[in-house]
Amino acid sequence: MIEELAKNLVHLKKELAKVYDGNSQIQEVIPVSTSDLFPILQQDLELLHQFATKNPIYYNSFEKTIGNVPCIVYEGDINKYWLNSIQHGSSRAPFSPTWIMSAYVGVLLAKDLGYQQVIDIGSGDGRIAFCAKVLDLKSYSIEIDDMLSDLQNLLTILDFHPYCSDAMTFDYSSLNLTQPIFFIGGLAQMGGIALASGVLEKIDSISDLKKNAGWVFAGTYSQKYAPDPKNEAGWGTLIEKNNLKSIQTLSLPTVWTFHEQDETPYIFAQTI
Amino acid sequence: MSSFDDISSMFHTESEKLENLINNTTKPKLSIHEIIETYYQIMNVSSMTTMLKQQLDANKHKTLLDKIAETERIISEKFNSSIHPQIMEKLTKSIQQTTKNLQSGDSVQKSKEDTENEAKLYEELRKKMSTKEFVEQYDKGLSHD
Repeated sequence: MIEELAKNLVHLKKELAKVYDGNSQIQEVIPVSTSDLFPILQQDLELLHQFATKNPIYYNSFEKTIGNVPCIVYEGDINKYWLNSIQHGSSRAPFSPTWIMSAYVGVLLAKDLGYQQVIDIGSGDGRIAFCAKVLDLKSYSIEIDDMLSDLQNLLTILDFHPYCSDAMTFDYSSLNLTQPIFFIGGLAQMGGIALASGVLEKIDSISDLKKNAGWVFAGTYSQKYAPDPKNEAGWGTLIEKNNLKSIQTLSLPTVWTFHEQDETPYIFAQTI
Repeated sequence: MSSFDDISSMFHTESEKLENLINNTTKPKLSIHEIIETYYQIMNVSSMTTMLKQQLDANKHKTLLDKIAETERIISEKFNSSIHPQIMEKLTKSIQQTTKNLQSGDSVQKSKEDTENEAKLYEELRKKMSTKEFVEQYDKGLSHD
């Protein structure tokens, strides 16, 4: 069911890309209501719409039927967050979000795999942590950039526990994690490897936690980047080096692939 | 036409194109496209001079070797020592100014049209930044020479 949902979302994105004639820097869609193609609880969809409506990165929205699915299209701009993030040496990857619907589907899979806590690392506006809360999981959002962290505090319609902190020095033992899954923000080639390695090292130092932990890495097959010799959309070497194995990959739309043919592969991995 | 004539003619054409591009850089406002085109031509002509100097005979090909030496002098004395540092400085200042301008308007509530027009300035800023990175790579190459 989750893979079907992901495929339907990808189809929706491709349809939107065909008909979208606006000029916004970023754009995404959320279906208006539950349907055969998107069998999502209505109350969950409404929370996702609330997150987008309250979020200052979106400056316009309108209803549009895409394919046969009535949707709201959200138009936004993240330039000022990009400019702020590149001026801080501590920020490892510039802010570029996944789609809210993709965050929801990704977390749905994490829940289906049995994880109980979602930790959104380099969380941007906190959408993955927010979706985890929508899906009744414990969630934590860790973002180093102060401007983005302030933004998250405007979006705590549900408390997804935003922390303005460096994920590589954060004290994870304070969260009393048991079955956590870490969503790593940033492509492998865009600072993701350094970020993931730092967090893996921290989790390694907490007794017995790593064996219960899951990892989600946002990958790319774009020829703009040198491929990883062990594949996994840029993450193969890190996965092997840390004794992890890839268990499933979900292809989902993201802001940065809106104009691309390929979606973003999210690699779900766990300890061997 | 012999192969040597072809090479000689090609070098003259390319070095002339380079001289025009270098002369053009003295104008006050240089576009990103003009900057990139000039640096690519510098690299193109520099590669040609390196290759030709290895193949030409000092006695038989004196005219072409003189032209190569003249072109190398222009690249070294006119471009590398004077124009290239000025381009770096202008790019740095322009990036600083655009960044300052964009950040100064942050707190103002903007219309959809204003936001989308401003997005074009951000796009310009990204282009200037990647051009600066490109120019800095050239500069690193000079410091290793």
